Amino acid sequence: MQREDDFKIRREKIKDLSDEELKERFWELANKVVEPMIEIAKEYTSSSIERSVLLRMGFNSLQAKAIVDKCLELDILGKGAGHIVLRLAMEEKVPYKEAGKKLASGELIEKVKEIFKIKA
Amino acid sequence: MDDLKIKKKYCLKTNKKIDVLEILNDLDKYKPRRKGWTWRKKLPKGTLVGPFTYNQISENLENSQPLPAAHYFKNIDPQPDCIITSEIASGRFEDDIRRFRMAAYHGADHIMVIRTAGQSHFDGLIEGTPEGVGGVPITRKQVRASRKALDLIEDEVGRPINFHSYVSGVAGPEIAVLFNEEGVNGAHQDPQYNILYRGINMFRSFVDAAEAKKIMANANMLQIDGAHNANATAKEAWKVMPELLVQHAINCAYSIKAGMPKNLIALSTVPPTSAPAPCIKIDLPYAVALRDFFSDFIFRAQMNTRYMESCTREVTVSHTLNALISRLTSAHLQSTITPDEGRNVPWHYNSIHGVNTAKQSLIALDDIKELIEIKDEGILKEKVREIKERAILFLEEILKVGGYFEAVEKGFFVDSGCYPERANDGIIRYKEGGVAAGTIFKRDSDYFAPVCSHFGYNNLSLAQKITGKRIVGKDLKKESKDIKKEKEIKESKNIEEINNNQIKNIQSIEKDIYEKQVNKEIDNKVCDLIYGCTLCVHDRISYIDELDEIDNVNVRLKENKEYRLGKKVKPEVQWAGDGVIVLSMFLPVDEKTSHFASLKIARKFGLKEPEVIHKQIMHPAEGTYVEVKGIVPFSVDLEEIEMPEIIPNLEPEYIERIVREKDLKVIAATVGEDEHSVGMREIIDIKHGGIEKFGFKCYYLGTSVPIDKVIDTAIEVDAKIILISTIITHGEIHRINMRRLNQLAIEKGIRNKVILIAGGTQTKDQMAKEEGMDAGFGRGTKGIDVASFIIRKITE
Repeated sequence: MQREDDFKIRREKIKDLSDEELKERFWELANKVVEPMIEIAKEYTSSSIERSVLLRMGFNSLQAKAIVDKCLELDILGKGAGHIVLRLAMEEKVPYKEAGKKLASGELIEKVKEIFKIKA
Repeated sequence: MDDLKIKKKYCLKTNKKIDVLEILNDLDKYKPRRKGWTWRKKLPKGTLVGPFTYNQISENLENSQPLPAAHYFKNIDPQPDCIITSEIASGRFEDDIRRFRMAAYHGADHIMVIRTAGQSHFDGLIEGTPEGVGGVPITRKQVRASRKALDLIEDEVGRPINFHSYVSGVAGPEIAVLFNEEGVNGAHQDPQYNILYRGINMFRSFVDAAEAKKIMANANMLQIDGAHNANATAKEAWKVMPELLVQHAINCAYSIKAGMPKNLIALSTVPPTSAPAPCIKIDLPYAVALRDFFSDFIFRAQMNTRYMESCTREVTVSHTLNALISRLTSAHLQSTITPDEGRNVPWHYNSIHGVNTAKQSLIALDDIKELIEIKDEGILKEKVREIKERAILFLEEILKVGGYFEAVEKGFFVDSGCYPERANDGIIRYKEGGVAAGTIFKRDSDYFAPVCSHFGYNNLSLAQKITGKRIVGKDLKKESKDIKKEKEIKESKNIEEINNNQIKNIQSIEKDIYEKQVNKEIDNKVCDLIYGCTLCVHDRISYIDELDEIDNVNVRLKENKEYRLGKKVKPEVQWAGDGVIVLSMFLPVDEKTSHFASLKIARKFGLKEPEVIHKQIMHPAEGTYVEVKGIVPFSVDLEEIEMPEIIPNLEPEYIERIVREKDLKVIAATVGEDEHSVGMREIIDIKHGGIEKFGFKCYYLGTSVPIDKVIDTAIEVDAKIILISTIITHGEIHRINMRRLNQLAIEKGIRNKVILIAGGTQTKDQMAKEEGMDAGFGRGTKGIDVASFIIRKITE
């Protein structure tokens, strides 16, 4: 969009605000802009977020990538990769690092499907 | 005996090169000594350093290189109050490390390592030490080795050094974890940068950013935003000022909502324009407007890159003026841009020049605001108000079109119109487009992540059920109270079916393994569920060394071993043994001819791959200044270099004391048929730093003085020192004059009472001694050189 500078017309509604009011208005608008964006962030996750969770659980980057890729294949990333690994560990009665490594190498896929009731 | 086996802790010695192998040794066991950002320790107003008082300085360094002129001022090296940044981008971390050390030694305490091209689009972490382009691949090994080197360097200079890189691209949260774990102290993080300049999907960028910011905040890392890139990208950079305020605000507001405190959120701000624009008139109101609106945040003052060309002099002036803006307003960090960034990847010495431009300017402008004041009326006030109002109107229109994502789709950003003017040349990105589009996933009701610093919905009560462990003292209801759809959340039925035996079983297995690692401090944290996450228990990090057998540091270290061990020397600008040098030349031809002529000259010198890196017309017909870089195809064996012994000069205070004690008199003259007097004046005049300043009484007899007059005057005034100046002639007149001076002194019976010194542009000490002089001094001699010799001789 091309537009001439119509600042003088547009500023009419804010030209009488004091400097303090101007600052308040600025931050009020900025917060309004980001509000819906931060809500999306609360409700969604991504492969990088899930890999970062697995890193924090003590997996290395190769294992984290492999586990998240498996979760993506099974379309269960919305459960949380950390959750999936812990559930698997609990069901298999092994430490979660071991469960995660097995999942990374492609083992236990059927078990995951069973736990999270994934068809096919 | 066991004590002898304990390896001595490696530390740096200022006369020894840093040993990369020592850095790499036991790296898998290295833990950072601290996390989080560190500011300089400011000194009170009126602190005395050498002969001067300062109002805006911080603690001195223990070891540092002062500015070149410092030797006139008792070698003081006052450090400005604000952090100074050096950007390092060699492409090899083992060479980065050496540049860290040089930069820190000149006063940088914020080392910003630039990432290799393309890492933004790498979906995951890179491991090992592969070589990069325009920066290094950021990996755990590279980060850990760099932080370890910086620990040693900060001990050498005596000041904490902040290590910094980038939490951006499609692996932001993972990199944030890596940085938190490895003690990286600051990072760029701004989802808008991903979207606009890296073409990464906007939803992915913002979702990842919230997680990354929370992880950064956990380690008290300083965040720097990316708004200044609009300035560096827009066609007419000075027109995007309203947008810059908007971009800063979006990242600041979003960061706060993600859990970052304001004192860890830094605005990256650049004075938008450069001369020949009347830049201060444009840049200053912008700087004031920004600091008014963002008064609670941190200011990282960056230097202008938008209008950088290949002339390093021009860039240095621009950057000095940028530092003036910093001092006239405020800056917590003064970043530096190397003066050669407009023509190549920054070189070692240009990184140092950048640091010194900042240090020199900031110290020069110490307390400038006590002397002059920014006017709170007239054009400045009007301009400040206008920028603010334009920014507000920008935000209003973002909301009017449906929000940020819609505004990006409509090309609001990096449009070179001064908003509300629109030039229709903004960057457009689409919601469903970009790298990694469609890669965010809605969290199910049973979603959870059992780690610290996780942002957003987290079903921790389910996590407690599964792990059988409670997060002590944590109000889980409160944790999730701001989740909109809390009512809809129901734990999946099969979880209820978990029997207690299973819970006990898993609990005991995990406990046995991790109990020893559990730190009491981690109580009341989410990661209690898994007996500590890597952010809380460093030992739980899983370290990968190398993945590529060929592209790694060990292979490179072998290749250039002889240069690293100091057996051979080759010029270098970036990597050990790269061989790059620059030839500077004025060619009395037009610009086009100069280009090709200079390349031919460089080839005749034997330089490989010559390339013109700078040309400047002195006059279209009379000539052009050219700088050509090229690679030296040979090296020099250090053992074959012959070096004369250099005797250091005496301390000026000591010289002065002896001169006054002994009331030393000097006879000085230009002898023979010689009317030159400049050289002798340089040596004796107080104005030129000559020996008069030490208290010598100097009798200057003038030019073309006969030798016998010199001797007679010396006897008459009882002078102990005779200085003669003579030019070299084909007839060996200079030697004859020296010989005559010596003979006459012998004949008159004073030779053992006087010191005879000859000087001249081509005089050599050896030649003067052959003719009976005590010493000879040539081109470049300073008064202190002569004075030191005299005092040593007299006190022998």
